[in-house]
Amino acid sequence: MLAELINPYHLQVASFILINIILGVSIYITLSTGQLSLANAGFMGIGAYTSALLTLNFDLPIIVGILAGTLMAGLFGIIIGIPTLRLQGVYLAIVTLGFGEVIRVIFVNWESLTKGAVGLSGIPHMGREILNTLKGFGFDPKVLGLQNNQFVFLTIFLLLLVITTSIVMFFRRQNRSRVGRAFAAIKLDEKAAESMGINITYYKVLAFAQGALVAGFAGTLFAHVLAYISPADFAYHRAVEILIFAVFGGSEVIWGPVFGALFLTVMPEVLRFISEYRYMIYGLIIIIMMAVRPQGLIDVNILNWIKLKTSKRGQKHGTSSQKSM
Amino acid sequence: MLIEQLINGITLGSIYAIVALGFTLVFGVLGIINMAHGEIFMFGAFIGVVVTATFKGPLWLAFLAAILVTAAMGYMLERFALRPLRSKQGVSHLAPLISTIGVSILLENLSHHLFGPGNHPFRASFAEISFQIGSITIYLVQIVIFVISVLLMYALSFWLGKTKAGKALRATAENLETASLLGVDVKRTITMTVIIASAMGGIAGILVGMAFNSVTPQMGLSIGLKGLAIIILGGMGNVKGAMAGGLILGLAETFVVVYGNSGYKDAIAFVAIIVILLIRPQGLFGQKISA
Repeated sequence: MLAELINPYHLQVASFILINIILGVSIYITLSTGQLSLANAGFMGIGAYTSALLTLNFDLPIIVGILAGTLMAGLFGIIIGIPTLRLQGVYLAIVTLGFGEVIRVIFVNWESLTKGAVGLSGIPHMGREILNTLKGFGFDPKVLGLQNNQFVFLTIFLLLLVITTSIVMFFRRQNRSRVGRAFAAIKLDEKAAESMGINITYYKVLAFAQGALVAGFAGTLFAHVLAYISPADFAYHRAVEILIFAVFGGSEVIWGPVFGALFLTVMPEVLRFISEYRYMIYGLIIIIMMAVRPQGLIDVNILNWIKLKTSKRGQKHGTSSQKSM
Repeated sequence: MLIEQLINGITLGSIYAIVALGFTLVFGVLGIINMAHGEIFMFGAFIGVVVTATFKGPLWLAFLAAILVTAAMGYMLERFALRPLRSKQGVSHLAPLISTIGVSILLENLSHHLFGPGNHPFRASFAEISFQIGSITIYLVQIVIFVISVLLMYALSFWLGKTKAGKALRATAENLETASLLGVDVKRTITMTVIIASAMGGIAGILVGMAFNSVTPQMGLSIGLKGLAIIILGGMGNVKGAMAGGLILGLAETFVVVYGNSGYKDAIAFVAIIVILLIRPQGLFGQKISA
């Protein structure tokens, strides 16, 4: 019975939604200090390439690759963050955009390592590796009434679901901590925050590095779920796509980018005829949102309203994103 | 060989300079970075291709059509993406940047659908005409590009420095509210600025089409990002800085292709801005940075 319900294609789409949610969170973290960073696609690329190259060339287990890729992206985040965070607003946006382009040009041109524009293929697939390991212990998916590839995609989905939920929960908690309050103070007024004794540089670099870390992590997952990466996956379009998750969903609360990533990944899949015009619609959404609702769809007011509605019905409180999953 | 490369570099550099002038005008007046400028430029190039290759029209008609279309696009950009944000209170200073990113994405994909994704050759009848001076070959196109860009820069400096409209523009750039109190029609001045900047982008588009004989929907992005790098290099809102920055980048890219690895050509601009912003954030020719 379970076997008929599980469609690998749907699970694959769901996995991409979860990865996109992680990317949305990554831009949300830097935005929560009022910094617009467009380098997250580049960090994602660094994570993906590091992990892919380590697992391909040195036969390391995927988990080591993922850890190394994530840390590498975070390291780059700190290195790039310390000098660039002296810049403000649009200057920071342009430098981070430039950084992303430099990373892409390096991926394209360092052919001996990255195979250039062709990209890397045959990257170890997360789900298959898990299946092989389990088979080594004498497990067979048929016990559950599943075919091999159904099992593979189901494992990936469940694994990503756990990972994404923990990431969202972690940053939700962080928002209510000392760190989160410092971020919010910096976003509202840097000078005032500084005079209140908040170490601005420290918290800005922290937010930037956290964003890089999370984006790099999403990149490693992307590489091991898709098993194929190329420099085009981490170019300007990816940077804009990540940005629009936060612009559309909202960047005031963490549920904003989560909802944005969910909605904007599902939309082109459900409405097939739209997917050809996807980026045109993205462009229109950005223009309209900026003119009509610059804070994004989900803000504090909406969240309170949803809480009120759901608590009236006596349900456990939740958000739209959880319900529709 | 060296002199030929120098000429190539100056040609490339003067095109970059015109693109950068469009950025600098809008930044100088509105204080925003118009991310859609590259795509408007790309549309100018496509109009050139359509007029000369599809309808076999003469080159002057291509210029005229490109100027008209890009000017109209500039008006639409101002009207629908920038003006709604200006009237609002408490909008983040990043909002216009994000809004123009939206316009750029829209235009790039629109051109994909209108003109197709491939590479469109630009058939100008005199593209192959060249002179021999000693051992050096100079193409007529290169001279035309250089002359047009110098003329444009002079016209722009004259317009900004000597005419009443230019004075109004400088006043608006100085302080929007004061200018409007003193009787400057700020709304009209801003609209004019965006339209002129866009039309200059359209002219640059045709020049690029002639110089490289190829037009693609992606060229807006790469040249637009370089224009952005140039105004940071030369100093934001600084007309002379944009010209100098354009020439520097054009020469640097040409010589990297000749003496280095051509693949990294596109990275120079960004490495340059990262370095310049860290060492001299006001740009090579800028006086002070606006907070």
